[in-house]
Amino acid sequence: MFIYTEEIEQNLLKKSNMKNKIRNFINNGDLRKVRFWIQLVSFVLFVYGGYLAINFGSSFPIFTCPYNQDVSATCYLISLQHQLALPSKILFSPAFIPIFIGLLTFLAWFIVLNKAWCGYMCPFGTLQDWITSLRKKIGIRFSVYTRHHFEQLSKIKYVFLTIVLLFPILIGAGVISNNWSATFCQMCPARVISPMFTGDFSQWSIDFSSKTNMILTALGISFASLFFIGSFVKKRFFCFFCPMSALHYIFANTSIVKFKKNGSKCTRCGDCYTVCDMQIKDIADDVISTNILRDDCILCLKCVAACPEDDALHFDIFNIKIFSSTREGFEKRMNVGFNIKNDGETDK
Amino acid sequence: MSIETNHHIESPKEKQNRHKAMEAISLLNSLREDFKAPIESMEYFYDLFERVHCKHESLHDDKTKIGTMCIQIPSEIIYALDGVPIRLCNGFYTDDEIGSDFMPQKACPLVKATVGHFASNNFTDKPDIVFSPTTCDQKTKAGSMIESFGYKFIDVDFPRTKDSEASREYWRRSVKQFALDLSKFQGKKLTKANLKNAIKKIGYAQSLYNKLSDFRKNEVVPILGLDVFLVTNAFFFDKIDNWIEATQKLISELEIRAKEKISPAGKASPRIVYTGSPPIFPNYKIPQIIEESDGIIVADETCSSNRMFNDMVAIDEWNMYDMMDSMSDKYLKACTCPIFTKNEDRIRRVIQLVRDYKADGVIYQAFAGCTVYEMEQRSVLEAMEKEGIPILYLESDYSPSQGGQLSTRVEAFLESLKTRRRNKK
Ligand code: SF4
Ligand code: SF4
Ligand code: SF4
Repeated sequence: MFIYTEEIEQNLLKKSNMKNKIRNFINNGDLRKVRFWIQLVSFVLFVYGGYLAINFGSSFPIFTCPYNQDVSATCYLISLQHQLALPSKILFSPAFIPIFIGLLTFLAWFIVLNKAWCGYMCPFGTLQDWITSLRKKIGIRFSVYTRHHFEQLSKIKYVFLTIVLLFPILIGAGVISNNWSATFCQMCPARVISPMFTGDFSQWSIDFSSKTNMILTALGISFASLFFIGSFVKKRFFCFFCPMSALHYIFANTSIVKFKKNGSKCTRCGDCYTVCDMQIKDIADDVISTNILRDDCILCLKCVAACPEDDALHFDIFNIKIFSSTREGFEKRMNVGFNIKNDGETDK
Repeated sequence: MSIETNHHIESPKEKQNRHKAMEAISLLNSLREDFKAPIESMEYFYDLFERVHCKHESLHDDKTKIGTMCIQIPSEIIYALDGVPIRLCNGFYTDDEIGSDFMPQKACPLVKATVGHFASNNFTDKPDIVFSPTTCDQKTKAGSMIESFGYKFIDVDFPRTKDSEASREYWRRSVKQFALDLSKFQGKKLTKANLKNAIKKIGYAQSLYNKLSDFRKNEVVPILGLDVFLVTNAFFFDKIDNWIEATQKLISELEIRAKEKISPAGKASPRIVYTGSPPIFPNYKIPQIIEESDGIIVADETCSSNRMFNDMVAIDEWNMYDMMDSMSDKYLKACTCPIFTKNEDRIRRVIQLVRDYKADGVIYQAFAGCTVYEMEQRSVLEAMEKEGIPILYLESDYSPSQGGQLSTRVEAFLESLKTRRRNKK
């Protein structure tokens, strides 16, 4: 009898050791590499998945734009706009069901990963990160917004979201003409840029069929050009204005993944703020909120990797800590003191 | 024409040196002998202080010495520009007395001693230039006095609030100005590579300190708080490579001690978090009383120790300005100095230290005359009470006479912590 309990105890001990080992392994991991590979694989999968007849449906919570024929999933905003533009009486008829299903699928996708879609999966986000690496290689410094500009500009994504939601309803109600159909898509830089991935440059043109179309598509082209210039000088330039990001934030509480902060462990050193592509100040300064997800956040988790205080920041799934800040991990990633060349930097 | 005599008349400098040597050696001897299970690798540090303060050896003859008055001057920049940072905060009673002639009676002994040291112009490593962040009133005002003694003295503007965005910008600018001033003084350009190397080196020193601290989380604490204060104090002036090597050795020895459960403290010794005015060599009065009365200091929240090392710099892209900004933020935003308008950060920090290091209580000491620490006492005491953490507040100065009364209070506090722990069981 006695031996058995000891054995069980030992097994338990082994298990918890195992758990700790896995936990340490993850917390000490090199987030840059992990992200790079996940982003690359998702990019290929979502942008070229169509070739392989992969289809994830039309409620994807990221900018996988169907104007590129080969995507394996389509951005939810386009279906949302089309559905909202249906004549308003449909809203109370059985035809409402597809809209509802669309929303549910979007939510389902979203519940699984939350904003991590942005940090790890969105091809449009990934593209911006690649442009950033290019800039880094050339050795040009990135720019930042002043706090004042940040606060002003941060509202733009809600303006876009309003466009996404309101204009289709106006079409449905017959207030504006069909030329406004999928208003946001006409302006969206992803419509212009995504087809380029498969060599299609045809979207770089202005639709002269009506004044409305002309203005909207011209805006699209300007935004697309801005996208390249902007993301060259500013990290994740576009994400800051993205209506999808705003939509994500609205549903953030439904998700099984949570981004948490333990303020009592934070020293407000600002390391997390320094590395944040989105310039989110609360990540360092707010020591009261436990839910630290902010509307601009793309859940890239760079801040968690850069925080030197054990468990001050952590990324949870079902309330289990999946990735936590640790001093050990911090020192490994920053390569403190050792081997000064090898710090995860690509430059020399 | 002078006549040779056998008796030598002691000059004021010699007298100062003799008194300081006495202060130093009496502390060092007590550290070497008064506690059980001494640590061999601490000898490097005992010897270092003896060399500098008793034998008056200078360590940095061949380098430009950059004096600093508080921790907010980034030593990364000094190293990157090929200087040696020397922190001039002073703990000698001898210098405190010299300084009394220049400062108001009720001024802070640390500032008085620092001013006294400058007034005597008696340095083993005399600073070639001094940078002083405008932190507390007394240090700020002492600056112009020190300048009038004939030193090259530069104020570095430091904000008194740290929550606003304006203060962040302000301090970032100050640090850039400091780098410019120093670079001009040194006739050397600050380069990306140099700064990066310096950040990494300081980062490594910080990581060593943190390893050292981790041992103090153990149930059996292998090292005295006094010894740790000495190690961190040595960082004020020691050659950084020597310090790194000695600390590495210390850590390896502590690893063995931790395994063998060797401790200079007793089994029931109450675990103390120390906060307040910084113990600076050789003014270890309060820590000495604590550890001689069977307490053990497991952590501290002071600018002569933990606050110097805790927060490490993180960088996303190693550009010059990003390094500068990230560094500046750390020196301002993470700083828990009582000169700031609010002190929630400091309170949170003390509570967290109590939890992390499983401390039984907190001892808060303020130098009589250090207004900011004296004033913050109320809010810290209130916060600790709310958290159910026992705390003792003490006022002390540099004079050697005060011992008896302080010991009684510390002993009573430690006794109450022991009883509390027994009752819990
Ligand atoms: S915020 Fe950026 S990453 Fe997220 S959906 Fe929009 S473009 Fe993609
Ligand atoms: S890096 Fe960590 S400790 Fe520093 S401010 Fe951010 S959350 Fe706080
Ligand atoms: S707050 Fe953290 S996870 Fe969010 S965008 Fe900034 S660095 Fe990424």
